[in-house]
Amino acid sequence: MTVANIGDVEFGAELAAFEPDTSLSAVTAFAAAVGWGDGGGRFSDHDRARTQGLPGALVPGIMAMGFLTTMIHRWAPAGRVERVDTVFRAPLLADQPCHISAVVTDIDEDQGLVELDLSVKNEARETRIFGTARVKLPTG
Amino acid sequence: MVDIEDLKSRFLNLEFDRSDFEIGVENALTVALRTGETRPEFTDPEHADFQATPAMLASLASGRHLPIDFPNLGGIPMDGGKAVDCLRPVRPGTRLNGRTHLHDIYAKSGRSGRMIFIVSRMEIYAGSGEHLATSDSRMVIREKPET
Repeated sequence: MTVANIGDVEFGAELAAFEPDTSLSAVTAFAAAVGWGDGGGRFSDHDRARTQGLPGALVPGIMAMGFLTTMIHRWAPAGRVERVDTVFRAPLLADQPCHISAVVTDIDEDQGLVELDLSVKNEARETRIFGTARVKLPTG
Repeated sequence: MVDIEDLKSRFLNLEFDRSDFEIGVENALTVALRTGETRPEFTDPEHADFQATPAMLASLASGRHLPIDFPNLGGIPMDGGKAVDCLRPVRPGTRLNGRTHLHDIYAKSGRSGRMIFIVSRMEIYAGSGEHLATSDSRMVIREKPET
């Protein structure tokens, strides 16, 4: 379900999620595009990442932030993310599914603002990243 | 144990880095597509409102992570999180300037000792001087135990 304006938003509503692409190729391309290269294998090679003491190649935290803002943009095609704040609690691994979620926690109908709680969980449903977002929606 | 109030009095709100950036159109597009973005203002460089995603803005890094005279706290810094305030659209292919200062320093104690959180804030400006966005990087350092 999508929302066109602030009047469509319901308190407690969960945004429709999509399945983020956490494949190693996607992660590698993302890391290169933001100028991080392959991070010595950290974002491109599970074995090389393990030599750095990591459990495997990582999904960058800001890539997960990107998954979350994409979910918001899909939910509110006319909305604008004014602020997004994410806490990187634990590593998210490449080539493993992750589950993104967002729920409406506050609505300011006069200002057209929505507050969301965000989370990214791994396959074991452990929270890896959490945060909040403030989204501006049309009031008309 | 590090005196947090002393660190705050010495280092908060003092600009310690200015860096110039230009977000490449292809890079902005890759970041948008690899995070599943579908809205044309993020995925179509020909769109009149083509702009960088918040994740792309969060990737911009200052030349220095900390002021040059900031004390060594002992532990290895970890990336504790990012926040982005989007004030105006940031256009790929245009010149940007980032001005960085420490916005907050605080500590949290747990079973394994004290963790120090340092929030480095970069204000991102257009070449015209217009403030476009603000990006916070939350660095976490496990304090070295006193011997």
